[in-house]
Amino acid sequence: MLRRRATIVLLTALALTACSAPGSDKKAAGDDSGPIKIALVDAQSGQLSSLGAWELKGAKLAVDEWNAQGGINGRQIQLDVFDDQGDPTVGTNLARKIDSEGYIGMIGTAESAVTIAMAPTLKQAEIPNICSGQSPGLVAVGSEFLFLNGPTSTTYDETLAKYIVDGQGIKNIAMITNNGSYGKGEHDAFLKALKARNVTPLADQVVTTDQKDFSAALTGIRQKNPKVIFLGAEEVESGLIVKQARDLGITATFAGAAPQGTPVFLDTAGAKNAEGTIVSSPYLSNDISEASKKFAAAYLAKYNEAAELHGAKAYDGAQIMLTALKSSNVATGKELADAIRATKYQGLLGGFAYDKTGVGIFATSIGTIKDGKLVAASS
Amino acid sequence: MQVFLQTIVGGVSLGAVYALVALGFSLVYRTMGLVNFAHGNVVTVGAYLASTFYLSSKLPFALAMVIAIGVTGAIGLVIERVLRPLENRDFDLMLIGTIGFGIVLDALIIMIWGATGRAVPSPVPSAPIDVFGLRIRTYDLVVLAIAAVATVLLVLFLSRTKRGAAMQAVAMDHEAATAVGIHVGRSNAIAFMIGAGLAALAGGLVGPLLYVSPALGGALGIKGFAAAILGGFGSIPGAIVGGIAIGILDSFAAGHFQGYSELVTFLVFTVIIMIRPTGVFGERTVNRA
Repeated sequence: MLRRRATIVLLTALALTACSAPGSDKKAAGDDSGPIKIALVDAQSGQLSSLGAWELKGAKLAVDEWNAQGGINGRQIQLDVFDDQGDPTVGTNLARKIDSEGYIGMIGTAESAVTIAMAPTLKQAEIPNICSGQSPGLVAVGSEFLFLNGPTSTTYDETLAKYIVDGQGIKNIAMITNNGSYGKGEHDAFLKALKARNVTPLADQVVTTDQKDFSAALTGIRQKNPKVIFLGAEEVESGLIVKQARDLGITATFAGAAPQGTPVFLDTAGAKNAEGTIVSSPYLSNDISEASKKFAAAYLAKYNEAAELHGAKAYDGAQIMLTALKSSNVATGKELADAIRATKYQGLLGGFAYDKTGVGIFATSIGTIKDGKLVAASS
Repeated sequence: MQVFLQTIVGGVSLGAVYALVALGFSLVYRTMGLVNFAHGNVVTVGAYLASTFYLSSKLPFALAMVIAIGVTGAIGLVIERVLRPLENRDFDLMLIGTIGFGIVLDALIIMIWGATGRAVPSPVPSAPIDVFGLRIRTYDLVVLAIAAVATVLLVLFLSRTKRGAAMQAVAMDHEAATAVGIHVGRSNAIAFMIGAGLAALAGGLVGPLLYVSPALGGALGIKGFAAAILGGFGSIPGAIVGGIAIGILDSFAAGHFQGYSELVTFLVFTVIIMIRPTGVFGERTVNRA
């Protein structure tokens, strides 16, 4: 009996220490010693893992540059990677984990749905997060700790609609989007941009994020004979749609935002099938500026592969986070969030100046795919 | 009408792949009474092996497929050998063992090939055939033909060879089979090996249609499993019918219900299973679970 009571006492003591552990950890991180802990949360496995891999490469490049120059206030920056598998549920668990383990900032994720799921926990824990999503839903969350490292779908699609409808005078447009967080955002943003121009899409097909066969949707679109088909889906799915569309004899030009400018999209669709695709992107190529050339060279040297948009975005995001950490003398919580908001940064994507919604950049350019490469559109 | 027919064409080609996945599930189930939850991951391994031999080693597609099927079959043997001590002892443990193997394979795939996937160009580059405005990909015809040949070979093996007959005997009554001198363990090993080989065939064939990534087998595995159930778990013709049916059902659901297609597909599936719990060809050759 005595022994059992002793066990209970011991267990209670254990439980108590276990409960108090996260809080005490966090205080330790606020100390002025040891490395500055930043978490990178992205899909490192699953269908969206290519996004996660690019993000990691871009962010790591920025962190390594800072560390090579002696870090911030003499402290090295420690970038730890967490795999969210592109799954919001895994994401919310990770949000609690990075809070309890005392990370003071977070880079990622590339998936709007995951970021939106993580946002409430991060807001409560006061951990600033610079994410790579572009869904307007990110802004709708209304967290002062959530920042985007690029424009939202609204900007992407407004620029795209302006080019296609106003510039080229094309009004026969069909849409095919998926019902995920990204696709839904694209659907609403592009439809809104079309409506503002009094254009009604000939077809508005929605597919699931997991779909593999698009015969029904594409045959429906083919009968409407559009000149341009708007794509609102991630890299691989967009590539499959384009490939199957060409097999079905659809010759229309495709148009889309960030995913349609990536190598994965090109490979999946096949360069010949993707030829002529119109892309709205804040980072068309590695040759647009001196900064991008330098970034691309460093990226190539480090990873032995060509840099692209997502790596560049993550690089910008990480630079902004680190710049804010430096300007605020390694502040945490709300102070760090305010420092990020105050940061004016000339990045690879352009000039960042954050507004209240956490968006820092409001412009994209139009490019087209020519001979398997994304080049600036001549208009 | 054109949309209707084109939808069927689209559904049948993926359906053939689901059918091959379902065959692997069913073959192991009818022989051992075991659902191999690692099957989807084995499909991914097969897809990666085939695409590696085809793209990196520059072998002809057919040869790359044969080697991939061989290697994957060997992996099937390993899985069976590791699980063998559990047979007839604790069936639940064996089920969990296959789930564990799936996780291990998943991790191995990411370690070897990375988390990023790869696109496989079609080995049949010719343009789709146009039949009265209906477009049929030549590669789809290849997939259908290979799936049909594989099925015929499997049925012949099971019905015409001594080894196949022995497997049928084990499927019906493994104790009686042991009594007449059939090596049950070996029979199970062959089932696992052929199942893994079929998975590699499905994975390799689907590579040029889709995108080879670590997540590939997950999606195919679920649909293949559903196909096997729909056709009657353990039944060889059932797997074929179930696979094509799921493919077409999926295609039509996508056309009519767009974003809710997945939901509709599985609702219809559930209703069919409620009406006919044993599936279309519910023969129930096995009841060892």
